[in-house]
Amino acid sequence: MKKILAATLALALTAAPMMTAFAEDAAEEPVTLTVFRGDPGDQPADDNKIYQKIKDEFGVSFEFEFLAGDLDEKLGMMIAGEDYPDLFDGGNSADLLIQNGALINLLDYVSPEKTPRLWAHIEPQKARLITQDEDGNDALYIIPNYGLADGEQIVNSVNGPAFFIQKQVLEWAGYPQIHTLNEYFDLLDSFIEANPTDENGTPYTGFDILCEDWRHFCLINPVQHLMGRPNDGEVLVDVNSDDFHTETFIDKPYAKPYYKKLNEEFHKGLISKDTFVMNYDQYIAALSSGTVLGMFDQTWDFNTATFALQDAKMYKNTYVALGLVYDPEYVDGKEIEEHYVNGSLPNVNRGFGISVNCECPERIVNMWEEMMSDEWQLLFNWGVEGEDYSIENGRLVMTTEQYENTLNNNWKLHNKAEAFTQSSPKKQGYIMDGELAGNCWEPANQPEIVFGQMNDYDKEFLEHYGYQKFADFVNPPIELAPYGEAWQIDYTPVDVDHQDFLDIQDKYLPELIMCEPDEFDALWDEFVEEITPSATVFGEYMWEAVQAEAAKVLENE
Amino acid sequence: MKAAKGKSNRIHHDRVFPAVNAIFLILLMFVTLYPVLNTVAYSFNEGTDALRGNIGLWPRVFSLESYKSILSDKAVYQAAWISASKTVLITLLNLFWTSMLAYCLSRKEFVLRRFITVIMVLTMYVNAGLIPNYLLISKTLHLSNNYLVYIIPTMFSCFNMIVIRTYIASLPEALVESARIDGAGDIRVFWQIIFPLCKPVLATVALFVAVGSWNSWFDTYLYCGGKKELYSLQYLLKMKLATTQASANAAKTTAEALNTLGQTTPITIRCAITVIATVPILIVYPFLQKYFVTGIALGSVKE
Amino acid sequence: MISPLCICGGASMSKTEAAGTAYAGAKKKKSFFGKLGRQWQLLVMSLPMLIYVLIFNYGPMWGWITAFQDYKPKQGITGSKFVGLKNFKWLFGRDDFLNSVRNTLAMSVINLVLGTVAAIVLAILLNEVMNTFFKRTVQTVTYLPHFLSMVIVVGMAQNIFASNGPINNLLMNIGLIKEPLFFLGESKYFWWLVGFINVWKEVGWNTIIYIAAMTAIDPGLYEAAAIDGAGRFNKIRYITLPGIKSTFVILLIMNIGHLMEAGFEIQYLLGSSLVMDRSQTIDIFVLKYGISKQQYGVATAAGMFKSIVAIILLFAANTIAKKLNESTLI
Repeated sequence: MKKILAATLALALTAAPMMTAFAEDAAEEPVTLTVFRGDPGDQPADDNKIYQKIKDEFGVSFEFEFLAGDLDEKLGMMIAGEDYPDLFDGGNSADLLIQNGALINLLDYVSPEKTPRLWAHIEPQKARLITQDEDGNDALYIIPNYGLADGEQIVNSVNGPAFFIQKQVLEWAGYPQIHTLNEYFDLLDSFIEANPTDENGTPYTGFDILCEDWRHFCLINPVQHLMGRPNDGEVLVDVNSDDFHTETFIDKPYAKPYYKKLNEEFHKGLISKDTFVMNYDQYIAALSSGTVLGMFDQTWDFNTATFALQDAKMYKNTYVALGLVYDPEYVDGKEIEEHYVNGSLPNVNRGFGISVNCECPERIVNMWEEMMSDEWQLLFNWGVEGEDYSIENGRLVMTTEQYENTLNNNWKLHNKAEAFTQSSPKKQGYIMDGELAGNCWEPANQPEIVFGQMNDYDKEFLEHYGYQKFADFVNPPIELAPYGEAWQIDYTPVDVDHQDFLDIQDKYLPELIMCEPDEFDALWDEFVEEITPSATVFGEYMWEAVQAEAAKVLENE
Repeated sequence: MKAAKGKSNRIHHDRVFPAVNAIFLILLMFVTLYPVLNTVAYSFNEGTDALRGNIGLWPRVFSLESYKSILSDKAVYQAAWISASKTVLITLLNLFWTSMLAYCLSRKEFVLRRFITVIMVLTMYVNAGLIPNYLLISKTLHLSNNYLVYIIPTMFSCFNMIVIRTYIASLPEALVESARIDGAGDIRVFWQIIFPLCKPVLATVALFVAVGSWNSWFDTYLYCGGKKELYSLQYLLKMKLATTQASANAAKTTAEALNTLGQTTPITIRCAITVIATVPILIVYPFLQKYFVTGIALGSVKE
Repeated sequence: MISPLCICGGASMSKTEAAGTAYAGAKKKKSFFGKLGRQWQLLVMSLPMLIYVLIFNYGPMWGWITAFQDYKPKQGITGSKFVGLKNFKWLFGRDDFLNSVRNTLAMSVINLVLGTVAAIVLAILLNEVMNTFFKRTVQTVTYLPHFLSMVIVVGMAQNIFASNGPINNLLMNIGLIKEPLFFLGESKYFWWLVGFINVWKEVGWNTIIYIAAMTAIDPGLYEAAAIDGAGRFNKIRYITLPGIKSTFVILLIMNIGHLMEAGFEIQYLLGSSLVMDRSQTIDIFVLKYGISKQQYGVATAAGMFKSIVAIILLFAANTIAKKLNESTLI
């Protein structure tokens, strides 16, 4: 039945005039799609101009539900009751929807013939995106919402993990190059010795480690980066080996020097024991007060603190992301090459899928196809010409007021369709053809906008280093490994072992950092013994998964 | 001689105790008021500044932005109406059903008393789990995205029933006996004699139910998330907090964060939300307090 | 699963009949249904809520079957695989589950004792206040923290108990300690911190029920006692306390049944990895390994275990109360 339908559809679509007729027919019948978003959000305003255009053009309006509680709990109940919305963004747990058959296979509607734009969009990454369903047929459940960009990768700043240091520390030391673990901590040590307190007499904290709940990545993730790899979550992959050797790193001898170093710094007073019981608000308060000199974190995780510092014009207390690696002494004299930034990665299985309850899947796919046109993408990203942006000499520009509007939540509820577009397929990177070629799809990436808003302190700071942007402190992106990034891999089958693996780290690592130096080795051995069983199960599972993922992608090349 | 001494002692006591008591209660008030005033202070503080913490009983940099950003959304008023109306309805229904059953189970002669009591009491300790409950409400009874889902599943609470039953049991049995002699049946005894006497305990239960209903968001989350007209105030506010937190994290550049958040941050929003959600329900308590005056109930009976 | 209920119900009915003889007076032979017929008004008044709880509370009880299944929401109860006692074995085979049972019981006992004592003491002190305005003000103010979310209260407590927080500063200033105490990072303090925060937040709220109970005390008793020359403390001891005793006993019995619930929010927020061995409660364990790991069967098994323990505790407490001739719940 499905095949016949698809065939009829294909026939209908080959004939161009018929296609428009089809589309118009559909548009005449207004439909309201129910939409679930697996993350929090605000309901758009009723008079939103973009949704009005979508309604006028496609006859489609939306009823949104955003997540307010626990995602897995909510999805579990939707699955049990088969209460699916039409459009379904399962957030971080979309795998659950796919495993439970909640989403339709988009390949029934997406193909080079039927949807040329969508196909061109996914084609370069189709090996990563297309999986096999239970019967072994090709299947595509979700077209990624982000990470399928056109043109060269845009990296203006490090948005992921890094070791951070206050700009004033570098300024004080005469703008040195800091690349290794020892250089970093030596600098912090000497700075705090020379300047124990800030201007107000508040003592500086040398290094903070946030351990609260899922944010414990600040405690448990750094070793892989010190070993020269971008973020693979909790495993270290040897991309140069034929079999993509994958192992958990926390229990390996090369993890020990990092925590030993932290132990040393703890006893020097650079790290306070309060850091291990700090909640997120306290951490942000500490960073915002400008008295924390350094930490390992991810940029987005402390955005609000940076915001507070900027707002108070404490620019010298804001942070630079550094890509640290182990000094050769820790790794048998080996020089490690730094790679904190990875090649751009499709956001696999994140974004809208169409549920099996949806009555008009082909209409939605065709709408997305139409929306991948330059006109719609410009409308979604930049807004209405003349109103929200203008074109000067082939460049897309916004006045300060127009740009600030795009960042104002309330304005966006009236003038942007983010609740829908954030989870839909979209163009990113550079505009490739036409009069506007060379502009960025996203206003926030447009160089005029990025550099137009930099403060003088930062400009001068960069000048001392001879850099253009803060991303220049780290190496340019490394080529994305065939398996993608390992944290994306679904480890549900070893969920329980993984939880044990994390719990043991949470328990031992703070103890290791705080213990007496002469007890360190014995405690480390105890830790390794304790964690080995769960680490082995998790590590082996991940190795297989990484290999499988890599094989799939390599096969297609 | 001895008696006189005892008396002077007592007078001494009667001066010291109230003073000590008053001082203690004032201290206690300060200790319990502190977190509340601190929350209020944060809610009136400028968002960015509040990130630095260390705010005491007074805002450091005064700002109304947090309130403006929440109250400028018209959906808040619709949600407040939903919350208020469901709170009133649930409270009335609860008082009716619970007190009626409490009366029945306070009657020692009722042959089903123990059986029904056991059935009721166990409901406090057994829970089938989320999914079966969800399927009952959503699939069997089709109450999803329906206003009634706020009312029907929460019409009765065993805990409150027991509280009322305990109170009724403490009333003099003679009241019922004499009414019986006058030929009144149980329904009349309950309505005309017992129910009016239960005012203090009904006020207590009304408070419990009203506060519980007003503060609940889980029912909206489970059953009405897809229908924004039915959002309760707590759910909407919880959503706003989550959104503020998420958009703070999602901002790619600091300038973006600066503007997305404006002058509000998750910390101040959380506090403003607490204030907005709490003030309406606080009004209920002083109103009910007048029923908590010792002696009223029995004094009137004796005449 | 339903059998324990039936046993209780059945057993209780025969006892009721025995007790009912007092009312029936001389007409001993009157049948059960005959009595019920005479009590039709009571039946009519209790039937709606009986049916109600059968639908809303007992209706979904089929869910307990999933404790014996590898339950998958998609397959539902009919399609999921039966695994016998595997879920229970898994739970009891884990040291951290047993540990979480211990933590739950410890914290709920501390909460129950501290909470009840504080509430009764405050209720009595309030009862002794003559000035109505002051009394109402204290009542209103002390119950305010009940409305604050745990996030806010715990956040404040974390600041107060921090190494450089006011409590440590105070203790150091008066010379009780030399080094700040690591309240938040040493597990020996954890249970007591939870108890303290709970009392702080809920004492005023918990008092309401006792204040309401005190309204039922006949003021004539106090007048009579005053004439007999009873002092303030004797009045409290012989009039006020007996006046709220039945409320106290009933609440105690109900709360003993709730000893398996120590909550999860406060422990989740206040706990850190340093105190994990004291902070993990059953509910946190279930949250971690149950629904978020799609181990629905395990979650149900843990819930069922909690319910069974609760019911045993409840009936034990009720029996003891009965032996002591106190008011009983059932």
